[in-house]
Amino acid sequence: MAIRSKTFRESYYEDIKLFQTIWIKFWMMLFIIALVAVPFVTDPYLVYIIDISCIATIAALGLNILTGFTGQISLGHAAFLAIGAYTTAIFASTLNMKFWVCLPASGVAAACAGLLVGIPCLRLKGLYLAMATMSFGVVVEYVTVTWEDLTLGVRGISVPTLDVFGYALDSNEKLYYFLVAVTALAVIAATNLVRTRVGRAFIAIRDRDIAAEVMGVNLTRYKVLAFAIGSFYAGVAGGLYAYVMHYIHPDHFTFLLSVQYLAMIIIGGLGSVLGSVFGAVFVTVVPEFIKALAQTMTLVFPALEDKYDDAWNIAAFGLLIMLFLIFEPKGLSGIWLRIKTCFKNWPYTY
Amino acid sequence: MNVKRVLGVVLVCALTCFFSSPAMAARGVTDDTIKLGLILVKTGPVAALGLPDGHGMVDYMKYLNEQGGVHGRKIDVIWEDDEFQPPKSVAALQKLIHRDKVLTVITTGGSQQTIANMKTINDYKLSNVPNALMKEFFDPYHPYIFAMGALYETQFECIVDYIFNDLKEKNPRIGVVYTKKEYGKIGLNAIRERAKAYGVDLVNELVLPTGAVDASSQVLTLKQNNVEYVITCDVLPPIISFVKTTEKYNYKPKAIFGFNWATDDMIVKACGKAAENYIGANFVGGWSDDSPGVKLAKKIAKKYGRDEKSIGLTSLYLHGIGASLLFGEAFKRAGRDLNPDSLKAAFETFRDFDSGGIFPPLSYTDKSHAPPEMIKLFKADVPNKRLKAITGWRKPMKMK
Repeated sequence: MAIRSKTFRESYYEDIKLFQTIWIKFWMMLFIIALVAVPFVTDPYLVYIIDISCIATIAALGLNILTGFTGQISLGHAAFLAIGAYTTAIFASTLNMKFWVCLPASGVAAACAGLLVGIPCLRLKGLYLAMATMSFGVVVEYVTVTWEDLTLGVRGISVPTLDVFGYALDSNEKLYYFLVAVTALAVIAATNLVRTRVGRAFIAIRDRDIAAEVMGVNLTRYKVLAFAIGSFYAGVAGGLYAYVMHYIHPDHFTFLLSVQYLAMIIIGGLGSVLGSVFGAVFVTVVPEFIKALAQTMTLVFPALEDKYDDAWNIAAFGLLIMLFLIFEPKGLSGIWLRIKTCFKNWPYTY
Repeated sequence: MNVKRVLGVVLVCALTCFFSSPAMAARGVTDDTIKLGLILVKTGPVAALGLPDGHGMVDYMKYLNEQGGVHGRKIDVIWEDDEFQPPKSVAALQKLIHRDKVLTVITTGGSQQTIANMKTINDYKLSNVPNALMKEFFDPYHPYIFAMGALYETQFECIVDYIFNDLKEKNPRIGVVYTKKEYGKIGLNAIRERAKAYGVDLVNELVLPTGAVDASSQVLTLKQNNVEYVITCDVLPPIISFVKTTEKYNYKPKAIFGFNWATDDMIVKACGKAAENYIGANFVGGWSDDSPGVKLAKKIAKKYGRDEKSIGLTSLYLHGIGASLLFGEAFKRAGRDLNPDSLKAAFETFRDFDSGGIFPPLSYTDKSHAPPEMIKLFKADVPNKRLKAITGWRKPMKMK
């Protein structure tokens, strides 16, 4: 009698299942329970940090689809976030629209902008594309500052509290469940996307665009689509950011933010959905962790108290990123994969 | 104990600090301590503005503690760096409230930071003195915002009044150099309106970005148009670049004016003779003033080993001392029963509060938290490398 292997699949349906083994389902359930329990077992500050991480995760997913999966480098991701944030802010504060109009509208507005950038950038690659997307960021920043009738310019726009079908999400804990749900949706959608024909076309373009075209991948269509999808994610993240911050200003969406998102996907792992999540959480949480570590160090070694400076945190964070790029170029998802393989093969080491 | 074990203990402690939420009976007040938060920039491009301000705030509280504290309680100031970024200020405020459990915060930073934190400020009743000078913060009334400094509009109106009334100009050629930040745009509008009220149109309105290190195009344009009075609406670093550039092109307007964020002895120290026609407006006194408040500030600075060089911008150190002075007085007035409500009520008892010349007499009521709309004008004293007061506290003139 043949013994069925745990990874043996008998149908296409089994092959495309998201959670393929009982253990994956078990750990996933445990993770969901932990997520639900977070606001009950920790303080609102940590909940706030997770809220911010969720928004960063959605935006990083968008950039990873564009840069990590399709190979189209973008230095203008903050501009798409700005478009999403301003769409929500204007719709919610001026037109009193509900979230179920504002958030999709933010995504669509950013996706349209993505199409606008994607089409003229079709023939650009590498540094040239990076420059073009960076210039787009400058244009958006200029528009948000100068189109005062719409954006209120440098005064910024105040955004009302997020109201979900009459229930005001007016605290970090209430926002938490909403943000986790939207992030879960975004992660599942991205995971599914990369497994479809579209996702495989993206990867083919990234690996060798000429070969992809020879195989029948329509470069124009898929490159523009990657821009639109990546921008849609950024737009939704921008909309959520507006709701969480309650106030947006052109200074919130600078070139530095685009670089930060690029850092997230490099640290997390290019071309990996899980890498986007890891990268976003890492970049958001680690500065806080370094700060806590530095404060603990001053308690353990009181002599350091007068010497400690906040600039240390920034330097330590920069150093950490450098070490990462040198010793773990596959990012956090690479480490995760190794840990998983190690457990899978235990007690064997290969 | 080997190194690995020490590192392990430190890591566990850091994780515990990060994930734990300390419990306290009442937020920020115990029998012997008042926990007070402070959010101000410590690192990044504008750290030079935040550090002296924050040091002034912290030093005054240290001084107060050494005098016995307030009603037997010592004040513990927790200073968080926001890098002058509103999202970081919002995160810092969340940490201060939920993790450090502070009673309130002295300030949450500038205009953007205060607006971004407004909901939290109201939800947690955080009486604070914003480092921002916009009308929106007290009109309409915000219950927990106590404005301390004169509005940008007030400062620029006083400057234009000075040109027409003190310098007796009839038809001066005025040019404005501004940045596209809220204070720059507000300043430009205020100057334009005020000059118009005197029947004069501005000759030039030129943008000088905050990060500018050279102002050649602006200086040459002003020179070409024979502008006699230049009014600048930008912070100190670009104004230093601007003043230095005027010297480079031998452009000598009758006066170059600046507002509070560019009114500091540093401009004379950095520009030397090029700053001889510089006149600045400020809602805090000057470091060379002979007032009891400024003397106290100097005494405190000396006590904690700060000389002028290590302070940096002395006007901002004075501002910091002034803001903490307000809180110290409010704590005293609130008595032993200190909580967010009693603190707000204490602030609202201020009537012509005398800071000894650090800032003008100040009053708050339960209907208005407006600042005293008064400033002083200071002129460069190049030999002594100082700005010296050339007026007393003054308000804009009433226009017909």
